[in-house]
This record gives sequence, structure tokens and C-alpha cells, in this order.
Amino acid sequence: MTPSKLVLKNLVRRKGRFVFTLMGIVIGMAAFVTFMALGGSLKSQIERESAALGANLVVTPKGSCAYEQVSILTGEQLPTNITSDEVAAIRSIDGMSAIPYLAERSAIDNRPVSVMGILPEETKDFKNWKIAEGEFFAGNEDEGAVLGSILAEQFKLKVGEEIRIRGTQIPVLGVLGETSGKDDLTVFLSLPMAQKLYKQEGLVSYVAVQVDRLDEVDLYANKIKDKVSLGVVSDKQMRNSVLSIVGTVNITLQLIAAVAILAAAFGIINTMMTATYERKREIGILQAMGATRFGVFRLFLLESGIYGFLGGCGGALLGGFAAIFAAPYISQNAATSFVKGAQIGIDPIMFTGAIVFSTAIAMIAGLYPAIKASKLSPVEAISYE
Amino acid sequence: MSNIVISVENLVKEYGQNATLVRALRSVSLEIERGSFTCIVGPSGHGKSTLMHLLGGLDHPTSGTVFIDGQEISRLGNRELANLRANKIGFVFQFFNLLQSLTAKENIEIALMLAGVPEKEQQSRARNLLKVVGLEEKADAKPGQLSGGQQQRVAIARALANDPPVLLMDEPTGNLDSEAEAEVMNVLESLKAQGKTIIFVTHSHEIASRADNLVYVRDGQIQLPEKLKKAS
Repeated sequence: MTPSKLVLKNLVRRKGRFVFTLMGIVIGMAAFVTFMALGGSLKSQIERESAALGANLVVTPKGSCAYEQVSILTGEQLPTNITSDEVAAIRSIDGMSAIPYLAERSAIDNRPVSVMGILPEETKDFKNWKIAEGEFFAGNEDEGAVLGSILAEQFKLKVGEEIRIRGTQIPVLGVLGETSGKDDLTVFLSLPMAQKLYKQEGLVSYVAVQVDRLDEVDLYANKIKDKVSLGVVSDKQMRNSVLSIVGTVNITLQLIAAVAILAAAFGIINTMMTATYERKREIGILQAMGATRFGVFRLFLLESGIYGFLGGCGGALLGGFAAIFAAPYISQNAATSFVKGAQIGIDPIMFTGAIVFSTAIAMIAGLYPAIKASKLSPVEAISYE
Repeated sequence: MSNIVISVENLVKEYGQNATLVRALRSVSLEIERGSFTCIVGPSGHGKSTLMHLLGGLDHPTSGTVFIDGQEISRLGNRELANLRANKIGFVFQFFNLLQSLTAKENIEIALMLAGVPEKEQQSRARNLLKVVGLEEKADAKPGQLSGGQQQRVAIARALANDPPVLLMDEPTGNLDSEAEAEVMNVLESLKAQGKTIIFVTHSHEIASRADNLVYVRDGQIQLPEKLKKAS
């Protein structure tokens, strides 16, 4: 017999109570881990998207706010009120390249997909795309479509087949190599083709700008503002404002999970207090056999610590599964719909952290009952019937 | 080695203060010889159990001294008292002596564990102790699967775990039928024969009649044997 074996035997002697108390902490920790995993992967996804955009500056419609900035990174549909004259004016500035995009949405098999109108050659250079299968657009007027790799795989689309967008059959020209971003889930059309299909002739959603000299980003932002009355935001500003929105949402969700964990901690206190009363007599027997006060304290603290440890392990597993398998279905919101399972990192540090955190919370919760138990005088405990 | 294993001088135990003051023991002195079988008798609520608790280092006296095996224990701290209980004293109580979630053998192992015996040694020693009380085949039974007499024999085996010189028993047969009582008494007789000092709180005249010494506790004091004879 060792103290830890004794603790384990005590722990499972009331199996129902053990399971219910454990479930409390497992559920709380699972929620916490899910939100942490989702939050972490959303954050890295945003950073990836921002890098994949390849732009130092983004020109957006006048008066656009953070919502539009999120949409640029997630491939949501955007209002199209940048005119071709404005695009031309921006593109006339020397020392930078500017690429217009038309962001729209369509559906394949009733599932929403992003549709992007692009200037094929320029965008390909801008984003360093590789072609995995088939061909790229033959020219700016090409009437075919190029697909992101995951989208092609999801809908089992092959080069030469046709997709239907806005009632028009469009041949698939090629499939892009993987980019690990939202481009993998996008249908690309040539800009004139997209404008025609969506009846947005002469209009684009936003313009991505790459400057030749990075240290002069601010200068170019001002140059653009001088030429056109549109919003200009640097990639850093955009990333930060999007991250701060996502961060706020994350913190809110984690706070909710923290409340669940707090409730579970009180569940542990409750269970351990009950155990202290139930085993008062046994505590006395242990003391008569030579257990010290610290020994009794340690037994009870260890018992609640195990609740936390097991709850942390269970919660981390359950939360990890929830993040990987359930999260993409939780919401049709673009922010989660583009997060594909494989990209949610099972971060060992986060998992270990969750288990340590849960154990620590449970031991703090167990302090009061453990002190209560250890403060019992042997005579009082033995006389208890 | 002195022939006196327990010596008590002017032992006083009071609970509460002023108006609520209860004098559980008023100046008790006694000496108990090594290897003797002593019964503590007397009416309920007159201080028998309090005396037992003080003899066993479960409580601190208000004043007076208790020597066990030559060691003065009334001024020891909680930790030293716990150590004393683990090594020098074996307790057996009337009710619920055993930890219900553990088997007979594991209950004995706990006592060995608390005295710092390594786990492997615990196993073999626990088996031997069960043999001493004639319950080796019940090693893996939980207390709920044992009769009252068997449970008390396991409790005695556990009290013997660390080979203490003194066994303190608070009405261990008080809850047993006469057959079970006989089982327990047989075990105690053989322990006495092996030189254990046994101190036994009881209400039973039959058990008291088998004792080497009788200590009659009334109103928190030890009455002389002559008075005992008159009282009974």
C-alpha cells in the first residue's frame, strides 16, 4: 500500500459521484481547450492569410471598417464599389504593383464557395502560385476557371469538367498547388468573366498593393489617397485589427469556459467536503494508526488533484476532438468554415498547460476540504459515529 | 528494561472553560506492568475513554505526565505523537475499525505504510499477521464480507502490525455476540502469552474477571480495588 494507491481506492469508492464530479471538470476543460485550439488556429490562419495576400497595402472602399478587413482575409463577399477608373489611377503610380480583386460567392452542390475575379498573370506572380494540374488561364479574357486544391478535392472536380456559376457552365482549366490558405477553397475566374457573371462590370472589391521599397509604405499609402478617395490600410494594420477582433471573441469564449471550470471547481469542493464528513471516522482511525495531520492533508489534496489531472486529460482530449471535428460544422461563418481540420494544431504545450492548469485549479479547490480534514483532532474523529 | 511499560502521574483532563468546564479526569495516577492484561472498567461517561485516549497519545492532557516505554509523551507535538502511535501503540475500537474500501490485508498494510515499511515487505508482513489472528484465507475480503468477530480480529492484526509493546482496546467486544467475543479473547490470550501489554476498556464482568489488574474509573478518578468490590 502506498498513499497514492489509498487515494485511488478512496476516489472510486463512490463511483457515481466520482464520475459526475469528473464530468464537470472534463466539460469545463474541454470547452476551454476547444476555444484555445480554435483561437490559436484562427490566429495563425489570419497570419497565414495575411501573408498569402502578399500585399503591403490594401485599398478598400471608402468608409470600410474592420468587417471588410475580416472579409478580405476570409474570402467573404464584399461590396464592389471601386471603379475601373480608380483602379487605373492606382495602377498608374510608379514603384508599386496593384492587383484588383472581385470577391463574390457562389455555391457548388449547395455549399457556399468563394469566387474571385482576378487578373490571372499578375495575380499568379503576385502570389507565387504553382499549377498542380491542368493549365492556368490562357489570358485575361479566358472564360475557364482555376480551382483551389482543397475545393477541387472536396467536390471531386477534375480538369476538363465543368462547374456551374450563376447559371453558366464553366470549364475547369486547372487546379492550383496547395497554398494552405483560403485560396485552396476558392474558384478563380478572370476578372472580366467574373464581372460579367455577377453583373459588376467595371467594378472591383479591393486592390492589393505591393510596394517596391518597404520603408516607403506610408509614402505610397498617401500617394494612393491623393489619387483616389478610397480607404488604404497597411497589411499590418489590417492584420492587427482583425486579430484584435478575433482576440476579443477568443477572450470572451475563454472567459465563458473559465466560468464552467470555476463551477466544476466548486463541484470538487463539494465532493471533497462530503468525503471529509463521510470519512471522519476513518480519518480518526488513520490518525490512531500514526497518520500525521500533514499526512491526512496530503491524502485529501492528492485526491482532489487527481480529479483535476484526470479532468485535464479528458478535457484536453475531448476539447481537441471537438476543435478538430466539430468546429468546422459549428458555424457557417466564413471565419470557421475555412479552417480545415488538419490546420488545427494539436499543440503539446497547450495540452500540457491545460492539464497542469486543471490540476492546479482542482488542488486549490481541494485545499479547504483538505485543511478541514487535517484539522480534525484524533479524539473528535474517532468519537464520530 | 524497566518492568513498568506505562506510568501515569496526576493526570488531569478538562474540557471547556468556566461555566462549561468538564473535569473528565481528576488527578489519575497508575502504573501498568509489561506483559499484563489490564481492564479499565466503570460506568459510561466517567472518563474511561478519555484515559485511553491520553494513554495512547491521541490527546494532550491538561496537566500531569504519561510515560510510555520510558518516554514522556504528554508534552510531545502532534507529529511526534503520530510517530508514537504508529510504532508503540496498537489501537482497536468498538465500531468501524476498518477502512471500508480496503480489503483485510490492505487495512493492515496501511498501518505498515504509516510506519514507513516498504511496500514489498508490507505484503508478507500483512499475510503473517492475518495468520496470527487465523484469517489468512480472508486476506482479500472487504470488511463488509466479514463477520463482526472477524472484523475485530483484522483490527487486532492491524494493531499488531508494527509490533507495538502496548495494545489499547476500547470495548472491542462490546458489539459482538459471545461466540465472536470468544474468538477475539482467544487471540488476546495468545498475544498476552507472547508478552504484549494489553489495556482493555470493557463493561463485561466476564472479561474483567480474566484481567491481571482492574482499574475502576468513576467520576474521573481511579477508585481503589476495595471500593470496586463494594460497588459490584
